[in-house]
Amino acid sequence: MRFHIVLRYVGLALLLNSILMIIASVIAYVHSDTALMPLLYSALISILFGVFPLIFVPSTSYITNKEGLLIVVLSWLLSCLVGSLPYFLYGGPFDFTNAWFESVSGFTTTGSTILSNIEALPLSLLFWRAATHWIGGIGIIIFVLSVLPFLGIAEMVLFRSEVSAMVQENFQLRARKAIQILAGIYFGLTLLQTIALLFCGMGLFDAITHSFATIATGGFSTKNASVAYYNSPAIEIVIIVFMLLSGIHFGLLFSVLVGGGKEFWRSSVVRYYLLANVVGVAFTAINIHGPIYNSWTTAIRYSAFNIISVGTSTGFATADTSIWPALSHIFLLFFASQCACAGSTSGGIKADRIVLLWKAFTRQIKKLMHPNAIIPVRIDGKAVDDELVSKSLLFINVYLGVVLLATILLVATGTDILEAFSGTIAAMGNVGPGLGSVGSIGNFDSIPTIGKWILASTMLLGRMEIYALFIFFSPKQWKKRVSY
Amino acid sequence: MGIRIKIFSGFLVLSLMLLVAGLWSIYELNSIGSSVQSILEDNYQSIHAAKIMKEALEREDSAILLLLLGKWEKGREIINSADSLFNEKLHFAMNNITIPGEHIHLEAIQADYATFKGLWERPIVGTNKEGDLDWYFQKVHSSFLAVKTSLNALINLNDERMYETATALKNRSKRAIVPGIVAIISALLFTFIFSYLINYYIVNPIIQMTKSIDLFKEKRTPFDAKIETRDEISDLASSIEHLCLSIKHRESR
Repeated sequence: MRFHIVLRYVGLALLLNSILMIIASVIAYVHSDTALMPLLYSALISILFGVFPLIFVPSTSYITNKEGLLIVVLSWLLSCLVGSLPYFLYGGPFDFTNAWFESVSGFTTTGSTILSNIEALPLSLLFWRAATHWIGGIGIIIFVLSVLPFLGIAEMVLFRSEVSAMVQENFQLRARKAIQILAGIYFGLTLLQTIALLFCGMGLFDAITHSFATIATGGFSTKNASVAYYNSPAIEIVIIVFMLLSGIHFGLLFSVLVGGGKEFWRSSVVRYYLLANVVGVAFTAINIHGPIYNSWTTAIRYSAFNIISVGTSTGFATADTSIWPALSHIFLLFFASQCACAGSTSGGIKADRIVLLWKAFTRQIKKLMHPNAIIPVRIDGKAVDDELVSKSLLFINVYLGVVLLATILLVATGTDILEAFSGTIAAMGNVGPGLGSVGSIGNFDSIPTIGKWILASTMLLGRMEIYALFIFFSPKQWKKRVSY
Repeated sequence: MGIRIKIFSGFLVLSLMLLVAGLWSIYELNSIGSSVQSILEDNYQSIHAAKIMKEALEREDSAILLLLLGKWEKGREIINSADSLFNEKLHFAMNNITIPGEHIHLEAIQADYATFKGLWERPIVGTNKEGDLDWYFQKVHSSFLAVKTSLNALINLNDERMYETATALKNRSKRAIVPGIVAIISALLFTFIFSYLINYYIVNPIIQMTKSIDLFKEKRTPFDAKIETRDEISDLASSIEHLCLSIKHRESR
């Protein structure tokens, strides 16, 4: 293990953070707000820690899988740490626990907050909150690789260490090409949404920060009432469209641009994802019409926005979903667990694994009827490797196991069971709001300190798809000479 | 990049982190000092003036009761001294407006006091007002209460501002401490990284070269030291390698 090489690459991630901190500092300077020094000092620390290894460590184009994994996990953890500095140095509602929670929630694109009065924060700090979403949305290392010149084998190792196993399966391209597609779609969508929101009457600052939060499927708003503040159907439609797009595999979005969308519509995962959202919106609208909203238009409007927001793991809100009937809560919890497609910025179990689960289930039924038959699991006509099927099923089991364990731990800290369960599902899926006091119009400030650390860890586990973080914290794995 | 620059950059990083944190803490501590000064000068002095005005007002009220009882000399003496004290403090407060909206309260005090003063300025002793308690309760007391209410509003306004400033001070004191804590932790972490890199890129190659020279000395094993960097260490390694080669060459002749 060459720690100096790890330091060099982690330093690059810190430098990326410092660039956005400097932009936030410029905003602070222009508005003469009180977050200028916290942002500048945080940027200084990020730059110093980022630049120093570049001075000492000569560049190398070869890194091992183990080093790649360590670089990715450390980049996430250290980005969250330096990302918490502006909050911690700013003070006010941020002690270290709250600053860490807010930073992890930002980078993992969860969007859960401890703030009860978001609008009281200076604009520069609000920009930094949104920027953490934007950096984390595409993946810190992917972001770094997308702005750096070609790094050779190192780039491929880092790419494979950063993206989920499902994405590796879907992206059968060279790492460079895949990164270019991911970054191109990511930056393009952000720009398009900003322009669309400006056309809908949103101010430039809000348009940029809401675009960052939408494309990263994050959910941090600059308003206490989230998107409900604008009370604008046009803004809601724009955000719905971009939330849905951000939940689709970026490679498929690229195929629409270059190939006309044949591949897009052939994808059973995309069809399932879109259909599930439509069905979810319809059933929720039926459920909330009457007891909560008298008009069908209002019921559909709120159902569409809030279900798609949760179903893409974004977490914006236009309504207090805590007052919705129990059946709607079940829908919300289902979508908060499933989320959107692999290869997007979304978190959660992912629609791909749900489709695989269903296909594996139907294969098992067929196998019971024809015990000697060899029946492969097929997706879009292609046979899926059995190892990937079993990996996916194991992932779902481990995912639900972590949710259960974190819920038990949260309840043990004195948190109400509904808030503990929904909060954990929302944190693990990187969705944001749960139910009850941690719901769409609530916040996580009332959660005990230890509970906030549990939730923040759950967010990181969800973002790194569990295994990477477990390997990182498992000393045995670092002693063995194994390749991942 | 040379070793000198690398080592210098390490110390520069450390110094920068500590220097900026130190300067920031000094700035915050200075701001705390200014805030304390502002609490004392702006708010506390206004509250103190309002309290003295209240005391003077109460003395005037007592003096009016003495006048109603026909004690002209004693009553006038108290009322005049209380009036001049009230006016002195009102003048002070008018020149110490530091909070938005404070002037509205002061103007109200001024107006209410003028009404109150209008009631006792005219003769009481020897007129039909002497002994007239109904007149006192209907006119004088209600007017007295109006001035007192305005004075209380001024005190509350300054109290609230004092509380706000004290809360901000608490936050400021945290801000003065936190950069120091962050700088110390960062400096410790940085020292660890710095010493690791110095060890890896400077100390280890020197040890390797020493071992290789020893081996050359004892067994004439070719000099071999893997140097990853291109700095003085790699120059030294290359010079030693040349030296060893030339010694070997000379010996073989």
